[in-house]
Amino acid sequence: MKLSDRTQDGIVVLSPSGKIMGGPDASLLNDKLHQCIESDQKKIVVDLAGVEWMNSTGLGILISSYTTLRNNGGELKLANVTDKIHSLLVITKLVSVFEAHDSVDEAVGAFGQG
Amino acid sequence: MDKPVIKGNTITVPSKLDHLADVDLFIEGILRGYGTDESLIADIAISVSELVNNAVSHGNQGESDKIVSVSIEKTNGSVSIAVTDEGGGFNPGEIANPVADENLLKDVGRGIFIVNSLMDTVETKKSDKGTTVVITKSLQ
Repeated sequence: MKLSDRTQDGIVVLSPSGKIMGGPDASLLNDKLHQCIESDQKKIVVDLAGVEWMNSTGLGILISSYTTLRNNGGELKLANVTDKIHSLLVITKLVSVFEAHDSVDEAVGAFGQG
Repeated sequence: MDKPVIKGNTITVPSKLDHLADVDLFIEGILRGYGTDESLIADIAISVSELVNNAVSHGNQGESDKIVSVSIEKTNGSVSIAVTDEGGGFNPGEIANPVADENLLKDVGRGIFIVNSLMDTVETKKSDKGTTVVITKSLQ
């Protein structure tokens, strides 16, 4: 897994790519998300366009970040959820937890509508 | 053992999460050799990664001097994959239902649930030497 990050309109956009399966790679995303939270960057979009697949470790990282942000007055939104990841979100019922958007622009824009 | 060993259709790795990618590369390569659909490869790869994660973290309880072996076999249009660790296994009944409202926001506990959802069969066999989980999936 690789990870890139940028800021768009004051919102942190994290773009992992490859597979999120656990082990040292997965900690890249986990560490980055929690660094953002610690540095008071509490509005985050995770762009999943480049993620081939993830397992329960990846879902756990997203849920952990979602709850930590929410408990600290922040928010995490998903963008470009692939069919494979969407089906995992459906299986695990996490589709009812995450707010997902068809593009990063749409996800970033949604922060202003809250 | 300090690095993965491949013999035929079996890969044996030291019991460390660092080797998840080695197992994935091996299994996906063989599945592509079978001409398997990419979406099906992903479902199987996700399931294998869950089982290896469990074998390392729970079966072998993080003891890196232990090993995990993963074997793959194709028979009658189905693929069968066995993941073996050196631990005593677990009771699936002890795992909380991850889709129950009270568990939905927990960050762990979904692995076996996902495997059961994606695969056709999941069978656990225990022996004196360890625990083997065998998953099967139709390739048709």
